Amino acid sequence: MDIMDKCLITTAESSCTESLCPECLQRIPAQRVVQGEKVYMVKQCPEHGEYRTLLWRGNPQWDLWVRPTIPTPPKECFTKVEKGCPFDCGLCEDHYKTTCTALIEVTQRCNLNCRFCFANAGTELDEPSLAVIEGWYKNVLAASGPVNIQLSGGEPTLRNDLPAILEMGRTLGFNFIQLNTNGLRLAEDPGFVGRLKEAGLSSVFLQFDGTEDSIYQAIRGRRLFEVKAKAIENCAQHGIGVVLVPTLIPGINTHNIGGIIKFALENLPAVRGVHFQPVSYFGRIPKEPLDQDRITLPEVIQAIEEQTDGLIKAANLKPHNGRCSFSGNFTRQQDGSLKAIINNSCCAGPERADELARKTRTFVARQWSGAEKLTIESPVNNSWDNLIQQLKTYAFSISGMAFQDVWNLDIDRLKNCCIHVVSPEGKLIPFCAYNLTDKFGHSIYRRER
Amino acid sequence: MNKTANLPPKPVWKCGKCGGELKHGTVKITYLGNDLRVEELKCLNCGLVLITEELALGKMFEVEQSLEDK
Repeated sequence: MDIMDKCLITTAESSCTESLCPECLQRIPAQRVVQGEKVYMVKQCPEHGEYRTLLWRGNPQWDLWVRPTIPTPPKECFTKVEKGCPFDCGLCEDHYKTTCTALIEVTQRCNLNCRFCFANAGTELDEPSLAVIEGWYKNVLAASGPVNIQLSGGEPTLRNDLPAILEMGRTLGFNFIQLNTNGLRLAEDPGFVGRLKEAGLSSVFLQFDGTEDSIYQAIRGRRLFEVKAKAIENCAQHGIGVVLVPTLIPGINTHNIGGIIKFALENLPAVRGVHFQPVSYFGRIPKEPLDQDRITLPEVIQAIEEQTDGLIKAANLKPHNGRCSFSGNFTRQQDGSLKAIINNSCCAGPERADELARKTRTFVARQWSGAEKLTIESPVNNSWDNLIQQLKTYAFSISGMAFQDVWNLDIDRLKNCCIHVVSPEGKLIPFCAYNLTDKFGHSIYRRER
Repeated sequence: MNKTANLPPKPVWKCGKCGGELKHGTVKITYLGNDLRVEELKCLNCGLVLITEELALGKMFEVEQSLEDK
């Protein structure tokens, strides 16, 4: 029996979707197959054979981890549906979800050379001009409105005109602009941090792989822990919120999940949260990644509870964008304990995708921006003023997002993506489609160098 | 000299439900399943709590927004 026949039947143990062949990028049927506590994607290319990739391992269980969404197409589509997902991205009218965050890559240059990276190396000559970036901002406004923006790269702080890029975005009406950075320049150049704040920077999405230098040595080729701490200190001085973003790689930093959260809490309110990203595999991969090369979302969730000695409970982390992500919110009490903020707004029934995207944008902009300065010192312990301060300044978020690669790509998940990269042509491409490569490193959307 | 002598006396709130006197005390508030405690004027007799329009549209609204999730 071939895989097409199997896909006519959906049982509790399996369900069907589509994926791509890692070798030829042809769209092929795929099954999600439940085997005990593991879930695999099984797919077969008529030309290149069968692929079997781990999607899920352990609790919370796969079938309980859902957030049903009613699709809502983009306001304006820049591409037509012709070849089918993921070959018509722009967005097309078959895309389920409007934008939560639009990523703008302002450079492809970088001052690190990492093992696991989506970005290509580049030169200054390739950089988009301010006029081009203005056009991109305007396309985002047309397709999705004044959504959250993340300035990314390469390493965006290598551009000296970054404050002008920020200012332009704020002037055009984007209220939350975040910087995705390795933090090197933020640590070395406090004056530059000040200029970014003046230009309207709300938040820094700081690459932060752990609290041990051996981790940075393994992933980034340099000892960087002190640099990260200095970058956080400089952001704190200017009231810029910092989100720690560890790329989790089995055997390298997955033991340090609790340590990262502990460090984040010690640096609250400058640090607003931790956002975990399990490693995914892009670029030239000579050998198919094995089960042991992956850490799935439930494993991250379990590790958070175990490594924080129960300070954060798995039950406090809820699905956000289906099986792509989780999140939980807390407030630190005066005695140092964490109180979970109960999330009743999720998981009760199907939600409209545009409403979910709106809620996400509002939450992210509030939680990940710099904490408000403590201006009111009320003598009454449980006054409204103190309560507001507690909920705003000492709010702390834990979240995670699993990116898809060509091995585990699920077209249903891709259609539900709300993180969109602005391509050089000004189209909006779902993040995982933009960064996707075949096993030889060939990309569908990203320009090759 | 007592500096507060010339200030008007604080208005005394009476409960609209039972006529009891209102005094500051701890009140439990619930929003989206989250229980919080806050100091507010409440009736000593029947427990009715005074929420002014200014509070509802101001600080109380701010607390609500802070509890709203994605």
